[in-house]
Amino acid sequence: MTTQTTPVTKGAGVTPRRRLRSLVETPEVGVVVACVAVFVALALARDTFANAVNLQGMGFDLAQYGLIAIGESLVILTGGIDLSVGALLGTSVILISWFNVRAGLPAGVAMLATLAITGLIGLWHGIAVTRLKMPPFVVTLVTYTVAQGVTLAITSGTSIVGISGFFGDIGQSYLAQIPVPLILFAIVAVAAWFFLERTFVGRQVYAVGGNPEAARLAGIRGDRRIVSMYVTSSLLAGFGAMLVLGRMGVGSASGVGVGWELQAIAAAVIGGVSLTGGQGRILGIVAGTVLLELITNGLTTLQINSNYTNIVLGGVLGIAILADRLRAKHFSSRA
Amino acid sequence: MREVTSNASPTRLGPAAVLRGVQKSYGPVTVLDIPELELKRGQITCVVGENGAGKSTLMGVLSGTVSPTTGEILIAGQALQPGRPDHAKALGVSMVAQEFPLVGGLSVAENLLLGRHSRAAEQAGRLRRVLFDRSGTRQEARELLADVGVDGIDVDRPVGQLPVPLRQMIEIAKGWGNHPLVLILDEPTSSLGPVEAAKVLHLARRHTANGGAVLFIGHRLDEVRDIADRVVVLRGGQLVADLTPEEATEERMIREMVGSELAHSDGAPPVSRTDRTVLLARSLTADGLGPVDLELKAGEIVGVAGLMGSGRSRLLHTIMGAQPRTGGETELNGRPFRPRHPADAVAAGVGLVPEDRKEQSLLLQHPVRWNATLATLRRDSWHGVLTPGGDKERSQRIVQDLGVRMHSQEQPIGDLSGGNQQKVVFGRWLHAGPDLLLLDEPTRGVDVGAKAEIYQLIDNAAQDGLAVLVASSELEELLRMCHRIVVMAQGRIVADLPREHFSKEQIMTAAAGTQSLTAGSEATA
Repeated sequence: MTTQTTPVTKGAGVTPRRRLRSLVETPEVGVVVACVAVFVALALARDTFANAVNLQGMGFDLAQYGLIAIGESLVILTGGIDLSVGALLGTSVILISWFNVRAGLPAGVAMLATLAITGLIGLWHGIAVTRLKMPPFVVTLVTYTVAQGVTLAITSGTSIVGISGFFGDIGQSYLAQIPVPLILFAIVAVAAWFFLERTFVGRQVYAVGGNPEAARLAGIRGDRRIVSMYVTSSLLAGFGAMLVLGRMGVGSASGVGVGWELQAIAAAVIGGVSLTGGQGRILGIVAGTVLLELITNGLTTLQINSNYTNIVLGGVLGIAILADRLRAKHFSSRA
Repeated sequence: MREVTSNASPTRLGPAAVLRGVQKSYGPVTVLDIPELELKRGQITCVVGENGAGKSTLMGVLSGTVSPTTGEILIAGQALQPGRPDHAKALGVSMVAQEFPLVGGLSVAENLLLGRHSRAAEQAGRLRRVLFDRSGTRQEARELLADVGVDGIDVDRPVGQLPVPLRQMIEIAKGWGNHPLVLILDEPTSSLGPVEAAKVLHLARRHTANGGAVLFIGHRLDEVRDIADRVVVLRGGQLVADLTPEEATEERMIREMVGSELAHSDGAPPVSRTDRTVLLARSLTADGLGPVDLELKAGEIVGVAGLMGSGRSRLLHTIMGAQPRTGGETELNGRPFRPRHPADAVAAGVGLVPEDRKEQSLLLQHPVRWNATLATLRRDSWHGVLTPGGDKERSQRIVQDLGVRMHSQEQPIGDLSGGNQQKVVFGRWLHAGPDLLLLDEPTRGVDVGAKAEIYQLIDNAAQDGLAVLVASSELEELLRMCHRIVVMAQGRIVADLPREHFSKEQIMTAAAGTQSLTAGSEATA
C-alpha cells in the first residue's frame, strides 16, 4: 500500500524519522534529558545547588547508591531481583568494623574477609535460584531479614568506634576536588558497561534474562550467568559498605542500608531496566541513580520538608514504570 | 436426570448445531471453509484430518474461542455471537480441550465447578451466592465424578498433584457438568489408558442416547470407526468427505485425509548422502521416549514423522541434551556423545532450530545482530571480549548469506516476518559450523516463498556434509525434502522408510498406530 502511494517519501523521509523514533524509544535518552532538565532547573532556582560543596556531597551519595544500583541491575537483567543489597550493605559496615576493631585485623584483611562473606551469600542466592528453583524475591528477602538481625545482634544498637584511618582515607578524600568514592563508582560503572556491551558473557546475561529457554537451547549455560550476577551484586554491596564506613567514620547501623534496595531498584527501573529481565543499559542505570540523587538533594536545597521527599520519589518511579509499560505495549503491538 | 431435550423426540427438534458459510482466514491463508455442516441430535460426529486440516479451527469456531471471518453458527436454532466462549457455553456448547485449562492449585471440586455456583447456592438467595458454598461444591463434584465413572478421587486434592489421565477425566467431567447440548471432545483418549478411554466413549454414547450431539475429534482411526455415527474428513480446511460408519473404513479415511499422492520427483533433494556416520543412537531413552535406535550419515536428511505427542520433539531435545536422557548410548562422529546441557552439544557440533520460534529461539526485543550471532559469539570474541563491529561483521555475513529482508541489523528481530526470523535462526547455526543439525518444524509460521528458501538452505547444508534430522507435522514437507523418513508413535520409531518407499498412506498408518503399533505394543506389554 505505501509502496504504491509514497515511493518518494519512503526513500527520502523514513530514515531520519526512524532514527528519531528509535531515539525516542531508547529509554536511556529520556532519563538523561530529565537529569539535565532537573539539574538546570534546580541550579537556576537556587545558586547554592550547583556550588562545589553541594556537588561534592551529591558525589558521595551517588557513589554509595550507585554501586548497589549497578549490582541490583545486573541481577534484574537476568530476570531476578535482589532485595538484600541494602541490608547486606548495612551488615557489611558492621562486619568490617567488627573485624577491624574487635578482631583487631588490619583494614585490608577486614575488608577482604567481609567481601568473602558477602560473596558467599551471593553464591547462595544464585544456587538457591538456579538449582533449588526458589523465587529470587523470597531467597533475598530471607537474607534481608537475617542481615538486619545480624547487624543488631553484633552491635546491640551501639556504634563500633576506633576504625582504621584507611577507610576515612578512601571514603572522605578527594582527588582533584572529585570525591574518591565517586571515582571508584565511575570505575565500576565503566567496568560494568564494558562487561555488558563488550564481552560475550555480558551478551549471554541479556540472552538469559530475555529468553531463558532460547538461551539454553542455543547452548548458553544460563545458570552460571545468573549465579555470577548474584555474587557480583552482593560483592558490590560489601564494597559500597567500605565507602559508607569511611564516610561515617564509625561502624553504625542506624539508618545505613535500610531501604536502599528500593532506591537501587527504582534507579534501575527509571533508567530503563525491564523488571522482566533482559533489557537495560549501564548508561540508563547511572542516569537513573543521578536523577534520584538530584531530586533528593534538590528538595533539600529548596528547603522542602523532607517528609515529602518519598512522595516525590515515588511519583517519579510511578512515571518511569508507566513509561516502561507503554513502551513494552507499543512494542508488542508491533511484533 | 440428564435429559437434554424435554420430552419430544430428538429428530423433531432440528439440528443441535448448524454451521453455514463458515470461513476463517489468517491474512491470505484460509484455514477453514465449511459451506454447510449440521450436527444432529443423537449423533456422534467424528472429525478426522491431518495436522493443519482445520480440526482445531472448527472446534474453536463452534466453542466461540475463534471468531470466523464469515458465516454464521446456530446452536439449537440460536445464532452464536462469534468469538464469545461464554455465549457458546450459555447456548449449550461444552468443549473438552486436549490441553487442560485446569487451575493446578485449586482442588478437584473447585475446578469442576469453576465459573459457576453449586446448585444449592444457585437456589439460595443472593446473599448466599456471594459466599463460597464449600459443602455443596464438594457434594456436586462427587456426583459429577461418579457420573462420568471416576471413583476414589479425593475431591479436596489439588488438581496439580494428580496424574495426567486423571486430569483429563476431570476436564471431561467439567465439560459434562455444564449440561451441554453439544459436547466437543478433542482427542479425549490420547492421554488415557484403555479403561478410562472406554469410559469416555461410553459417556459420549450416553450423551447422544439422551438426545445430545457429540463432536469427536479423533486421532486413532480404530477408535473413530468404533464410535462414529458419521465421519467427517477435513483436508486443507475443506470438508472433503462425509461418510457413514459403513463407508468409513480405515483405508478410506486415510485416503480422504491424504488426498492425491504427491509426485515425488518435484523438489526431490539432491543426492548428498555419504557413508560417514555422524550420529549413532542405541536404545536411547528419556521421559516419554524410546528406546530409539537411529543412525544418520553425513549429508543425509532424515525426517521424523508422527502425530502430536509421538515424541518427535523429545527425540531432538534428548539428542541435544536439552532433556535428560534415562539410558542408551549416542555417538557423534564415532566418539561417545553424552551431552548434559545443550552447551555440550553445541561444543560437540550439534545445532537445534526449535519448534517455537518466539518461545525457544529468539530474543524478540533485541537486535537482529544479537540473535544471529548468539551461537558464534564466543568464537568471534577475543579472549571473551567483543571487538566493536566484530559481531556486526558476522551478522552481516549471516543476513547476506541467507537473504534476510530487513531494514537494519539493529532493528528488533520481533519486527521481522516469521520467514525472515527463521532464516536468522538458521544462519545462527549454519555459521556455527555444526556436523549435525536438528530441525523442529523448520517452516512453521513461514510464508510459501520463505519456505522454499529454507528447503534450499537445508539441501545446501546436506551437500556441505551436514547430517540433518528434521521433525515436522507437515507430511508433504518431509516427503519433499528428506532422503529417509522415520515414523514415531508413542515415543518409539515404528517405521523407517527410504525415499523409494515413501507413501503417505503407509506413514499415516504407522503414525496412527493402527496395525504395526498395536502389534508392537502387544509384543512389549
